[in-house]
Amino acid sequence: MTHPVSRSLREYARGLAGGLMFSLPLLYTMEVWWAGFVAEPLRLLLYVVTVFLLLLGYNYYAGLHHDACWSEVVIDSVEEMGLGLLLAAALLFLLGQIELDHSPYEIVGKVTVEAMTVAIGISVGTAQLGGGKGEARRGVEGSAKREATFGGQIVIALCGAVLFAANVAPTEEIITIATESHLAKLVGIALLSLVLTALILYYIEFTGSRQFVRRSGVTSVVVGSVISYAVALVVSAMMLWFFGRFDAGLLTCLSQVVVLGLAATLGASAGRLLLQ
Amino acid sequence: MKKVNKNWVEWTVFGVSAVLIATVIGFLVYESATIGHALPDIQLRLGTPEARSNYFAVPLEVTNKGDQTAEGVHIEVVLRAAGKEERADLEIAFLPRRGAREAWVTFKTDPRNATLEARVLGYEKP
Repeated sequence: MTHPVSRSLREYARGLAGGLMFSLPLLYTMEVWWAGFVAEPLRLLLYVVTVFLLLLGYNYYAGLHHDACWSEVVIDSVEEMGLGLLLAAALLFLLGQIELDHSPYEIVGKVTVEAMTVAIGISVGTAQLGGGKGEARRGVEGSAKREATFGGQIVIALCGAVLFAANVAPTEEIITIATESHLAKLVGIALLSLVLTALILYYIEFTGSRQFVRRSGVTSVVVGSVISYAVALVVSAMMLWFFGRFDAGLLTCLSQVVVLGLAATLGASAGRLLLQ
Repeated sequence: MKKVNKNWVEWTVFGVSAVLIATVIGFLVYESATIGHALPDIQLRLGTPEARSNYFAVPLEVTNKGDQTAEGVHIEVVLRAAGKEERADLEIAFLPRRGAREAWVTFKTDPRNATLEARVLGYEKP
């Protein structure tokens, strides 16, 4: 049975609103525009492929259609990325950042860099911002089988971390903090990140934490927090590499990963609970 | 396997999206395959001077023919007329690979009967 057109339109509009909500800070950030033409084409290509895999994972584990088969998951992901490209292009044009006389590489680069976060935002928006009674959202029986899996939680934690970290990853502030901070303070940031992760996941009864996090003893708290923080660090490293921040020495790179890790771990813990 | 049921709006959005993604990926693959490693190569072209309220403006087209982006491109234009010399300079924050920017330099002396010389003073790797 096909859905009525009005319902599809509402779903798309909801997705677009979500996309804007999550990515507007990036559309308004100069460093992100610059990343569009500074990054080599191969790096952009890798970024597109990575984000597409994330979309597939998110749509499979937490998407709007919980009973979706793989072909539907692929179709949804393609639509979200396409809408992301359109929305990013339209906004960059309105913001005066792409003009018709710019070189094709500059236009495609800027739109692509921005569109990837917009696409994740659209995916999250479509799945999370709805909730009309008549819609097949979060059917209890349909969702139960996919929510508790370890792999699913990791995928959603990755998406959360990317969404949160993307807002600060391209800024100059990360490298400024990383190079100016005393080593002891960086250790402090890392400890704070771990403690925050543990608190959000296991203590403060955040929305969804009872449902999605297993709580049994000290070991699971430690293991769970460490895994979330590890996901956050991986995402930090990947984003910093993408934005060309890894040309510096090893210590500077590590410091940057820790500094960005705080934002990423909020996404990997709190974000993950909110996104599903 | 379940059959995918979609209405025409959904198929249209899917079709447009698929074409867009294929275009972007195709473009990026083409660029990756053809891009060289040429350092920034900045060319300057001065346009016809125009009189403004109490100065003269000379349009300047700055093109980067290289395969790498240049940051902080500092350009100087020197005007020489009848023993007089006047300098103007400007800085362009980013000049993308194979990209161009339009700029203007201004002078008090009328450049229409003087010689103008433009050169790039320096730039850095982003």
